[in-house]
Amino acid sequence: MHLDETQIQRLLHGELARAGELAAHEHLERCDACRERVSAAEREEAEVFALLGAVDHRVPAIGAQAIAVRARARGNRRLPWAAGIVVTLGIAGVAYAAPGSPLPRLVSALTAWVQPKPELSARPAPPPSAPASTVAGVAVVPGDRLLIVFTSSQVEGAAHVRLTDSAEVVVRAPSGAATFSSDTNRLVIDNRDGVGSFEIRIPRASPRVEILVDGAPRFLVERGVVASDPAVAVDTPYAISLADRRP
Amino acid sequence: MDSVRVMSLRDDATAALTSRMPARLDPPMAFRDAFAALFDAHFPRLFRFLDRLSGEPELAADLAQEAFVKLYRRGSFPDAPEAWLISVAMNLFRNVKASRSRRRRLLTVSRGARAHSDPPPAPDEGCERAEARRRVRNVLDGMTERERSLLLLRAEGYSYRDIAVSLRLNEASVGVLLARAKEAFRASYEDAFDAP
Repeated sequence: MHLDETQIQRLLHGELARAGELAAHEHLERCDACRERVSAAEREEAEVFALLGAVDHRVPAIGAQAIAVRARARGNRRLPWAAGIVVTLGIAGVAYAAPGSPLPRLVSALTAWVQPKPELSARPAPPPSAPASTVAGVAVVPGDRLLIVFTSSQVEGAAHVRLTDSAEVVVRAPSGAATFSSDTNRLVIDNRDGVGSFEIRIPRASPRVEILVDGAPRFLVERGVVASDPAVAVDTPYAISLADRRP
Repeated sequence: MDSVRVMSLRDDATAALTSRMPARLDPPMAFRDAFAALFDAHFPRLFRFLDRLSGEPELAADLAQEAFVKLYRRGSFPDAPEAWLISVAMNLFRNVKASRSRRRRLLTVSRGARAHSDPPPAPDEGCERAEARRRVRNVLDGMTERERSLLLLRAEGYSYRDIAVSLRLNEASVGVLLARAKEAFRASYEDAFDAP
């Protein structure tokens, strides 16, 4: 049995296992044909490898130290980027949270602009009970007295007031219709240029909650009694027009 | 330096530590010493392989260094460091080729196709040597990437195992594929000689 191509190549390259190498050498001692094939393969390989040297260029004189320096520099290169991102996010956060910052309104306006617009309908718009994703709002625990202030009157729209058994005053509106801010006794609804309707839920147990629109008192409820209009039943939703009443 | 010397580091406690070390920290002294030894032994071979593969010494130097930078940042040795370095360098080489190919397509659209030719030989290079260089380059460029890589890796003395791992071949097939690659090289080279 003669040596095959794989055995010849492995023999040339020292890749035969010990037993296989011994067997190959034993065979070569008595087989002229295989000996000639191995010699030819060796000669041809030497010729090919020598030819490959024709395209060689000088090996650059670089040390391991240079590689280490380059590797360390690569690690440090990302630090300024990371620091820059952190600083930028920090500045943006401060700008957003600063009192009087226009950013929250801009973000709300942008959000409202990006969100899909509701289809036009001939029927009047119902009170805001849209899905949560399109509704904005605020909830506060009323103290002894709470003033809910709409900063402006509107061309259209109303505030639908309902008394509830919950502990919080909740104001909800379509996203982008207004921005909200509050302190201990005051909930401000900045509805400049707004056209939407609002839903306001007031706890029956609230000592006093008053609603002002553009500086004019429109609604007052004291411990579940609508003081501004005693004819209103306590469980009936009360609609306050946000339209401008001034002549 | 052979792979056995590098691998032996993995047996001691220091190697166990280096294998868990985050790449961004500077590796410990034991790794750095072994890395330097591996670099000294292997960088010339890797550069020569890439130089012959690409025909561009500057690119070959960049790719070989980049492969070692990646190994240093890794902070520990893989099971077969030489094969790992070859694989990394070849992936980098393929990325370069792909990005060049994309750029060439864009340039072709705007400027029209250009004929590419070998750079002119250096003034001090003899005509015969320049001709041999051109002919061998043409033969190598005409081979498939697998045959060329196989031939060039073996010419640098890489083991069948390293060749199989880095080229994703069955180790048992390396001998036969290598014989075919050498035969393909010889045949093309002789054809180039016979051509007018």
